[in-house]
Amino acid sequence: MTNYIVRRILASLPVIFGILVAVFVITRLLPGDPCRALLGEKATEAACAAFNARYGFDQPMIVQFVTYIRQVLTGDLGDSIRFGVPVTQLIVDRLPTTIELATISLTIATFFGIKLGVRSATKRNSRTDVSTMIFANLGVSIPVFVLGLLLAYFFAVILKDTPIALPPANRYSAGVIPTEIAVAWGLGGLQGPLRGLLDFISNMAIPNAILTLNPGNLVDAVRHLILPSVALATIPMAVIARITRSSLLDVLGSDYIRTARAKGLSEREVVAKHALRNALLPVATIVGLSLGGLLSGAVLTETIFGFAGIGRTISDAITARDYVVVQGVTVIVSIGYVVVNLIVDISYAYLDPRVRINS
Amino acid sequence: MSGARASSRVQTPFRRALRSFLEQRTARVGLALLGVLLIAALGADVFASYSPIDVLIDKEPGAVRLAGPCISLFGCEGPQHIFGLDNNVRDVFSRVLHGARLSLQVGFLTVGFAIVLGSLIGAVSGFVGGWVDNLLMRIMDVLLAFPSLLLAIAIVTVIGPGLINTQLAIGVVAIPIYARVMRASVLSLRDREFVAASRALGASETSILFRKVLPNALTPIIVQGTLGIGGAILDVAALSFLGLGAQPPTAEWGSMIGADRNLLFSSPHVVIFPGIAITMTVLAFNLVGDGLRDALDPRLQR
Repeated sequence: MTNYIVRRILASLPVIFGILVAVFVITRLLPGDPCRALLGEKATEAACAAFNARYGFDQPMIVQFVTYIRQVLTGDLGDSIRFGVPVTQLIVDRLPTTIELATISLTIATFFGIKLGVRSATKRNSRTDVSTMIFANLGVSIPVFVLGLLLAYFFAVILKDTPIALPPANRYSAGVIPTEIAVAWGLGGLQGPLRGLLDFISNMAIPNAILTLNPGNLVDAVRHLILPSVALATIPMAVIARITRSSLLDVLGSDYIRTARAKGLSEREVVAKHALRNALLPVATIVGLSLGGLLSGAVLTETIFGFAGIGRTISDAITARDYVVVQGVTVIVSIGYVVVNLIVDISYAYLDPRVRINS
Repeated sequence: MSGARASSRVQTPFRRALRSFLEQRTARVGLALLGVLLIAALGADVFASYSPIDVLIDKEPGAVRLAGPCISLFGCEGPQHIFGLDNNVRDVFSRVLHGARLSLQVGFLTVGFAIVLGSLIGAVSGFVGGWVDNLLMRIMDVLLAFPSLLLAIAIVTVIGPGLINTQLAIGVVAIPIYARVMRASVLSLRDREFVAASRALGASETSILFRKVLPNALTPIIVQGTLGIGGAILDVAALSFLGLGAQPPTAEWGSMIGADRNLLFSSPHVVIFPGIAITMTVLAFNLVGDGLRDALDPRLQR
């Protein structure tokens, strides 16, 4: 097992290096003058020369590349052109919101996706099966931004004065101000990495409300999270339901299931104890892979629901042509994606011995 | 199999696949949706009484911004706008219809681009093998390591917004999928007898690859491509929604929704109709793609 883990980690290093190279190539070698892109079409020659000197664009490509790699390795992703703050600071401030949204969405998607898939497979060709698959097909076909807008319209406008109305935008209601965890715990003077960690968690609304023992904020934070996380969860949920269904149908046709049935086990036991365990392995891979879609979807969901997350940061940076931010966030999010998939692969190998022996 | 041989008409592989495709209800639904879409796209000028970019404010008495749907069949007396008017007083119905044309074009062009480049890379990779294979596949791995929409956004931010650039970016991001599929098919064909036979007859390696191996490796690519069209349409619409793709006043579904999304609460029709159009289009390609996969995948024919 250790052997497998080490090999997988070593194999992902070139991919991470490749990501750095790819982002560098995209931003430096493709047509399009960064100066004109950032300062506008009418920038003067002198302004551009100063700009190029400041960002090192006048250096030879190889020098630029080495500088860039050195900066990334030391955690320097440059300064946002619009805000003037380091990109790393922006990421630390805004990533927690996205992590919270993505985690809740992935939980919803996995839980309900598997449930729907199992129900569909065990009642094959029934009305439940057909309607679940229609739902799954619609779910993978509707764009996140359309679903998000429709949900917002339905729950905030049509159901406006009912008890189940939900807020269509922002992370908190106006006037609700979260307390920093460190401050609430009387550790306001704390510095260093521990404080950084507490601040990071502070930026996630639900953990914040729980850790600062603020039930009012908790209710508010949860209510604001429902619509965006449902919108974001729908596509992965539909995909997971489809994979669970086909994988479970495959397993249910195998010999050992026939044996289990012949032993006189109830259908429920056959599915839950024997079939599902094997059927869920491909589902685990899909859950890991959905993360990429989830991050892409977060760009759209956060834009629609006005969340100050990393996805919104990207779409704002696009509008402002702040491409230092786009570049830095792309690097970090992509590396994060590789790391998460690495973890998924390793846990997959842990669950299924065949994987680590065959590879 | 024996039944097929006994029947009076010859069961060509094509005919068998077609029958197995049409036997699926979902595939038929997809095909019907696709038909509607094609008719809408081809007949957009006939069915829509307005130009998609015509601002009607001074041209038509009573035309107001964001007017809701007005259908004479349901007793509406003003000029007929069955999907209403948008924020710039343009007819939403004709914009949605013309958007169908654009979306189909976008879907086929983007996927076509990715298929051509991806197949070429995958075929060379699988056929030549060795360090070429290794290098090409590592590059593909890196491209696959990015969350796709994010990479596309990064590319478009750098090369500049616009529909062509967006298609290019989405196409580039999709290349590794086709490269992998093609490589896998080529690997399975490379050592088959008919390839050895061509080689023995003195055919050049290039001619073997392009004349013998590639044509036989196309089926999985076609299936993947059909499924990919829906995804490409979704991604291009998403980038247009963010303002990176089609630029105003082009009638593109994603940018229609993006431009008027803040007006959703007062005039939902500006979002709902293009939204339904995207969903139905993507659904159509997904259903047809699933149907093709089930009809063509030999492993599924039991």
